[in-house]
Amino acid sequence: MIAVLQTPRPTLRGPRLDDCEPVAIFLDSDRAAYIGGRRNRTDAWRTFAVLVGHRELRGYGMASVEDRATGASVGMVGLYYPEDWYPEDWCPEDWCPEDWLAPEVGWWIGDPACEGKGYARETAVAARRYAFDIAGRPEVFSVIAPENARSIRLAERLGATFDRTVAAPNGRPAPIFRHPAPEARA
Amino acid sequence: MTAPAIETEGLGLRPHRMDDFASFAAFFASDAARHVGGPMPAARCWHGFAGDVGARDLLGFGGRAIEERATGAFAGQTCLSHPPHFPEAEIGRTSMPGFEGRGYAPGAARAARAHACGPLGWTTAVGYIEPDNARSIAVARRLGCSADPAAARFDPVDLVFRHPAPEACT
Repeated sequence: MIAVLQTPRPTLRGPRLDDCEPVAIFLDSDRAAYIGGRRNRTDAWRTFAVLVGHRELRGYGMASVEDRATGASVGMVGLYYPEDWYPEDWCPEDWCPEDWLAPEVGWWIGDPACEGKGYARETAVAARRYAFDIAGRPEVFSVIAPENARSIRLAERLGATFDRTVAAPNGRPAPIFRHPAPEARA
Repeated sequence: MTAPAIETEGLGLRPHRMDDFASFAAFFASDAARHVGGPMPAARCWHGFAGDVGARDLLGFGGRAIEERATGAFAGQTCLSHPPHFPEAEIGRTSMPGFEGRGYAPGAARAARAHACGPLGWTTAVGYIEPDNARSIAVARRLGCSADPAAARFDPVDLVFRHPAPEACT
């Protein structure tokens, strides 16, 4: 079973059915532009269900970010590593280069009221530590849209370094950032 | 939370595992999947696979793998599903190539239906089937389903087969 991770302020816990509402609101907003674009409620449900199923199938995955002060579900963070990912137009949020051999560390803070508080950084640190130390992954990456300057800045603050750029299914460049292994972060 | 295993004649129903995906994706990439939305590439197939697993965790019903008891092979799946675009809840079943005609799909669907009508309290369920999917229509009839031409459907081409009322299910 996947642990509940405590960070200084938000808590990472397993997704629940009642997280679907804030997730759907976020994914149906322009704020989802950099993670595959807006999608309607049916597609948001599918995205959410896939993330939950991934946890059971892989034994690790994306967690819900809960604001400890309010109990609100404000975002998701964690690891994503589908089987046989490859570029595909059908579902542009879900692709990866053919030689992608490691999970992605991903994050979003969907509640605008919780932006800028460092929640993404705190929870991404916890998720990355989980990836290396508990899930035992030898390496992890983040793929970030080139226009998503805030997310790129966060990746760099986390010590991730630019690895290479691949072509996304829509033909646009997609930079990949490699996270440092635990010994390099000491 | 993982679903409890169900044992029935010649087969077991258990939660999906990651190593089921290779068979699942190979089937959905092939022409054999033409009646169930395929052929489709693995990246799209992943959504159906992981989504069914996640939906089951979230809702308490969803997909289960059919395991052939004698060999342990992944023989197919059955799925209780009611995504937003389905007018009604469906009891679905799919056999992997090579495992058709052994009664696994109807056996698994019967077990899934018993779970739906019992613990879940469903009062009705349907199957959405393409009109030229003769094998699936035959399985529906074996399960006691009958065509319901008046039922709403998300794909106007589909036939809708309605399962018997819970008290008439065996």
